[in-house]
Amino acid sequence: MIKFGKGNLRVPELSRPVYVVAGGMTDFRKAYPEKQSTELCMDAMRMAVLENDLKVDLAEFKRMVNFCVYSQFADHFGDQLLAAAKMHDYLGFDPVGNIEVKTGGATGGSAILAGVTAVASGYASVVPVIGWERMDEVSTRQGNAYIASAADKDFESELGWLYSTNYDLMNQRYYYTYKPSRETLAKVAQKNHRHALSSPFSHLAKEYTIEEILASKVVSGLLTFPECCAMSVGSACIILADEENAFKLTDNPILVKGIGAGSHTLRTADRRDMEILLLPNESPDLYEGRTEKWPGFTGFLAARYAARIAYHTAGITNPLEELDILETHDAFTISDLQTYEDIGLRPYGRGSEFIESGEAYYEGKLPTNLSGGLLGTMHAVGATGIFQVAEILWQLQGKWAKFHERERMWTRFGKEKPRNFKNLQVPNAKTGMAISHAGTGSHVTCAILSREVK
Amino acid sequence: MKIRQKVIIPPEAEGRLVAEIFKRQVPPDVWVIENPKNIVHNHSYGGITPFFEGLTQGKLLGTFCPHCPFPYCGDIWLPPRVDCPDCWEKTAWFEVDPDGATVYSFSITNYPGAGFKGTVPCPLISLEIPGVCTNMMSYLSEFGEGEPYIGMPVRPVFRVEKPTRTILDLSWVPID
Repeated sequence: MIKFGKGNLRVPELSRPVYVVAGGMTDFRKAYPEKQSTELCMDAMRMAVLENDLKVDLAEFKRMVNFCVYSQFADHFGDQLLAAAKMHDYLGFDPVGNIEVKTGGATGGSAILAGVTAVASGYASVVPVIGWERMDEVSTRQGNAYIASAADKDFESELGWLYSTNYDLMNQRYYYTYKPSRETLAKVAQKNHRHALSSPFSHLAKEYTIEEILASKVVSGLLTFPECCAMSVGSACIILADEENAFKLTDNPILVKGIGAGSHTLRTADRRDMEILLLPNESPDLYEGRTEKWPGFTGFLAARYAARIAYHTAGITNPLEELDILETHDAFTISDLQTYEDIGLRPYGRGSEFIESGEAYYEGKLPTNLSGGLLGTMHAVGATGIFQVAEILWQLQGKWAKFHERERMWTRFGKEKPRNFKNLQVPNAKTGMAISHAGTGSHVTCAILSREVK
Repeated sequence: MKIRQKVIIPPEAEGRLVAEIFKRQVPPDVWVIENPKNIVHNHSYGGITPFFEGLTQGKLLGTFCPHCPFPYCGDIWLPPRVDCPDCWEKTAWFEVDPDGATVYSFSITNYPGAGFKGTVPCPLISLEIPGVCTNMMSYLSEFGEGEPYIGMPVRPVFRVEKPTRTILDLSWVPID
C-alpha cells in the first residue's frame, strides 16, 4: 500500500514490559566443520546461561523456560527442514512449545519480535531466542545462488543469481541522485572491519586503508569485496523474560523499550512512488521540492516504517540525541548509508554526514556497529539480528569487556588477541538500537533496548 | 523355511569424504561427506504465463487495474500481476509500448551465482518506461564503453528462437 489508514500507523502497546537478560554466541567462520549446527546452538546457549552472571543455575533456568523461538534463514543452506525441532530437542527443551521464524536477513530481528510479543502478551515468561546459519555446505557460488533465491525467482533471480548486483542497482541510483563521496562508503567498511579486530567472534577482522578498500576486487558495479558482508557459520542467542522472571534471573536486565517491524515489496522494481513517511524528528517541509521518487531505489520504506513504530513505542523523538549505540544491518556499505536516512539520523540525501561528522565512530555521538557488524564480524543470517541484540545487551550492562577483552574468550576460538585491540565499551551507554534487514528491504525490524526499569 | 527379501544399498552409493572445504583441511577427527543433489523442479507461471509466452512472440505484456481510480493505481504493472494489490480485483493485460524506455539504474554482474545461464560481465539494469509504475529489472545484451548509464535510451530485444522460457528471453540494447 502507498497510502495509510489510522490502523496501519497504530503504535503498538505491549501489555507488559519485556526484558533481555542474557546473550550468547559462538565465533563466526567461513566454515565450521568441527561442529554441527546443533552443537553451535548449544555453545551459544551455554554462554547465555552460564556466563551472563545469572542468579539461577542451569537446572533452575530450564525449569523456567516456557516458549522458544528459533531463527534460521534458509532451509536451502541447512538442508534440514524442521531444524528447530532438532535444536529444541538437542537443548533439552521438549515439550515446551516453539516456533521457527523466517524473514530472510531480518530473521533474527523477527524472531526477537516473536519472542517479545510472546512475553508481552502473557503467553510466555521466559523465552530463549536462538538463531544460527550453516552456510558452508555449498560453494560460495552456490551460496550466492541460494541467497539470490530470496529475490523474485520469476523476474529477478535468473538475471545473475547474485544479490550484490541488486544492491548495487540501489548504489548507482543513490550516487546518481545524491553524489556522495566514494570514500565515505569505504569508511563504513573500514570502520566495521576495524571494530571486528576487537571481537573474538569475528570472521573478517582487518585493518584496511581507504585506498585498499577502493582498490579491492569489484564484486558488482561500485561495490568491492570489503564492502560486502561475510557469509558465515555460527549461532547467537538471547533470553527474554517478563519483569518478575527477569529479576529472578539477573540484577541488571535490559528493557525492550521499543520494537517495530516494517515490510516492502520483494522486488525493488515494484516500489511505487509515494509520500515520505515522516519520523518524529522530521517536519513535513523537510522534503519540499524533492524530485527523486520515494522510497525508489535510494530509501527503504520497511526500515522507515519499523523505525517509526520503534521510536513511537520507545518515546524517542530525536534518535541521534537519545540513542547511545546502534547496530545496523551493514550487509553492504550502500545499504548502511541508506539506512542512516531511513531511521532519521540525517534527512534523505545526507546520510554521508553521519560518517563524515564522526558521529558513527567510537568517540562519536552514536557509535555504530562496534560489534564489527555484518561486514567485519558475521552474517550467519539466522543468527545476525540476535547477535546484534546480544552485543547491545552487553554494552548496556557494561559487560562488553567481559565478552571481548578477556584472553580466554580469544583462546576459546583458537585466536590471539590482536595488538591493536581496543576496548569498545561505551561508558554509561543507556539506550541502543538494533536493525535487522531482509531482501533488498523486504522486512526490517528495529529493536530499542534501554538500561532502565519500567 | 521363511523366504526373506533383502534390502540392497548398491555399491555406487559408496560415500565420499571431503578432504578440504574453502581451502582449509577438514580436521582429521571430523567427517565431512559429499551430499550431492540433482533436482528438477516443475515450476508453474500460473496466471502470469501470458507475460512469458509474450516474450517468445516479441511482445512485452504488462497489466493494469481497470477498477482502481487513475492515477492512484491505474498505472501499468511490469512485472505483471494477475490481481490488483490495492482493490484485489482482476487486472487486465496490456501490451506495453517500450518507446521512451531508459535505464533507471544499473550494475554489472561479474561473479554470478550458480545457475546463471549467461556470460559475464553482464550489465543488470532497472528500467523507467513511460506509463509504467514500476522499475522492472532486466539486462543489456549489448553494451559498449561507458554503457549502461542512468538515463540511457534502450529498446527491448526478444529471444523468440530457442527461448529459455525465463525472464532471460527479454533483454535491452542501447538506441544510438
